[in-house]
Amino acid sequence: MLEPFQLPFVQRGLIEVLLLAVPAGLLGTWIVLRGLAFFSHAVGTATFPGLVLADGLGFAAPLGAFGAAVAFSTGATALRGRRSGQDAVVALVLVACLAAGVILASDVFGSGANVETLLFGSLLLVDRADLLLAAAAAAATLLANLLIGQHWLRAGFDPTLAGSTGPSQRIFDAVLLGLVALATVAALTVVGALLVAALFVVPAITARLLTERLLSWQLLSVGLVALEGTVGLWLSVKTNAPPGATIACVAGATFALVAMVRGLAGGVAVA
Amino acid sequence: MRSEALIEASGLAVGYDGEAAISAVDFSLAPGERMALLGPNGGGKTTLLRALLGELRPLAGQLRVGARCATVPQTERSQLDYPVSALDVAAMGALSRLPWWRRPGRRERAVASEALHKVGLGDLAQETFGKLSGGQRQRVLIARSLVQDAQILLLDEPFSGLDRPSSEGLEALVDSLAAERRGVMIATHDLEQARRWDSVLCLNRTQVAAGPPEEVLDLAVLEATYGGAIVELPGSDSRAILPPHHH
Amino acid sequence: MLEPLQDEFMRRALAEVTMIGVAAGMLGCWVILYRLSYAAESLAHSIFPGLVLAALAGLPLIVGGIPGILVAALAIAAASRIPGVSREVAIGVVVTTLFGLGVLLALSPDSPPGIQEILFGDILGPSDADLIAAVAMAAAVGGVLLLLHGRLLAGGFDPGAARSLGVSPGIVEAALLALLGVAIVVAVQGLGNLLVVAAFVGPAAAARRLTERIAPMICLAVAIAVLAGFAGLYLSYYAGTAGGASVALAIVALYLLSLPLGRLVSARQGKRAPAGATIA
Repeated sequence: MLEPFQLPFVQRGLIEVLLLAVPAGLLGTWIVLRGLAFFSHAVGTATFPGLVLADGLGFAAPLGAFGAAVAFSTGATALRGRRSGQDAVVALVLVACLAAGVILASDVFGSGANVETLLFGSLLLVDRADLLLAAAAAAATLLANLLIGQHWLRAGFDPTLAGSTGPSQRIFDAVLLGLVALATVAALTVVGALLVAALFVVPAITARLLTERLLSWQLLSVGLVALEGTVGLWLSVKTNAPPGATIACVAGATFALVAMVRGLAGGVAVA
Repeated sequence: MRSEALIEASGLAVGYDGEAAISAVDFSLAPGERMALLGPNGGGKTTLLRALLGELRPLAGQLRVGARCATVPQTERSQLDYPVSALDVAAMGALSRLPWWRRPGRRERAVASEALHKVGLGDLAQETFGKLSGGQRQRVLIARSLVQDAQILLLDEPFSGLDRPSSEGLEALVDSLAAERRGVMIATHDLEQARRWDSVLCLNRTQVAAGPPEEVLDLAVLEATYGGAIVELPGSDSRAILPPHHH
Repeated sequence: MLEPLQDEFMRRALAEVTMIGVAAGMLGCWVILYRLSYAAESLAHSIFPGLVLAALAGLPLIVGGIPGILVAALAIAAASRIPGVSREVAIGVVVTTLFGLGVLLALSPDSPPGIQEILFGDILGPSDADLIAAVAMAAAVGGVLLLLHGRLLAGGFDPGAARSLGVSPGIVEAALLALLGVAIVVAVQGLGNLLVVAAFVGPAAAARRLTERIAPMICLAVAIAVLAGFAGLYLSYYAGTAGGASVALAIVALYLLSLPLGRLVSARQGKRAPAGATIA
């Protein structure tokens, strides 16, 4: 039953997933608290053409992805102030990214087969650079969470409350968005551009169902990402399906299970 | 008296995108003064509170806020889900005095605990904020403003949705805050309550009146403030406000 | 210019984009007015496993799409009711899980290839049944929208007053979502499940930039949608690019064009540029 984990590429994938558990689990709680679920999904999707370009032109994938992610983040932040028509514009931007990526992949670079890998992840492609990137994202997230997590919390809880006399709230929020972009890019190889929410949103909200305090929520979230990631990896090898898809299924099933058990145990749900 | 006023406004106009939402605001708030802010919804009460906090710049006139201002806003739906305890929320008040990388430590939490005791919630410090009742949540936010060491408290409709005992408790708290020489401005819809305080400010896009309630709160002022006719309810001492009728 | 029209595949494709364009242009105006762009996108993504199952069983996509939408809508509603789970997060969870499930089903070894057609559409390969479905859908959607026009307008511009006018905004929105579901399921054959939302959002958003009245907006949206369809197909024919993706990019291009054009139009009319403040 545990034979998949004897394969070297699976072991690398496992280390990657465990490393990613830190930024994905931690940032996941902030993504849920600060209403960034759609943003994180959109950033992932927006990296797709960047990945295709990198693949086609032969430069490092994370660079292409990060470039696209930063472009999208700055655009999204600029739009964030204006409510008008925002949803529609973002939807169109994402479609444009996907369409451009597909055309680049299948018609410009002729690398059509890679589209599925880029969209849903692949264990075979995890290399040392990915591990380093994941470790960097983990370290950066831990540090930021320690130093300015309280500002993220305060701004989400009550934006009218005066903050510190240091850097403004905008800078703290920009750091949060930047970390989400960085961690998303680090996760792309494993889960692909379309399924980042499997690591960044689903485990965090599942953990939220189980606890009411921030610290335990964060720990539980990281733990769930690690657990679901591992089981998802195993399933990916067994079914030969992309790891992003299997992790998404495991995460979703876990959420449904926890929600049901909690509903039954809690008796009448308090809305 | 004028020079020690906590807030002084004259000819103040504040608004958004260059258009004034409120204008001709003229009042002062002294230490120990409890001022009721009366007016219809959409009449500019929240705009004034935001201006006093420094979030909005005056479009015209003068505004001097001479001490630290803290606000006790209405609780948003989303805040009820936040994984914070009453103590956590109260301790947030210390953030403005710490360097940005420091989280509230033991000393700040002690101050927060003391503030919670002061507002009567000492034994609920570890409760999740969202689990508290409306009145208790208001007290936590007041405790937060105490931690902020604010001399001016701005309460935005703190009594809405509270039952009688909670309401009376909150009023007593307001009185004790004023007794400590803080200035308290309370947005409220309760006229009887307003009459018990030191002064009122009637705002309906422009300032209708400001001053002691017994001098200021007459029928004409109330009608101008709420924009409708005031009628006696037959068979009781109460009055009711008719909504403005359009021709 | 007329050369593509001699190609059998192109003729069918052009017919299909016309039908989709009419439906998506009309419906899209209401999607924008009722701020349903995000819902449209989530609906489109979440029917993915249903489509995969239909493809695996050799059935037309519609057969998988309709139950897929129902399952997704129910799941999102159920998840949103859990305390602490916002609607945005509920949609994220359900859509991600369903997508993962669809990919799992589609890319397990012993299933036929063809996931790319489901994801990005197969605009050049509509069967007769697909074309008939497109015509029927366009007629049905168009008919219902014309019938409900007055109520839709009341419910959208002033939900507060709508009830007093005898219009229930909740029911109207539900009806829109139902129409959207049907239209998406039919349109997905040509544009694919990842790109189909562009048809329902882009032309209407572009039309909104160019006019402030609903009737011209609807006509413009339809015109833009059909124009984008033709432009995309022509690009695909001459440049050899993927069909569905080309149409999607054409839609985005026309939207981008509408931004400066819209400012010109309102400048000439002497008022401030339409901020689109009430429409998203």
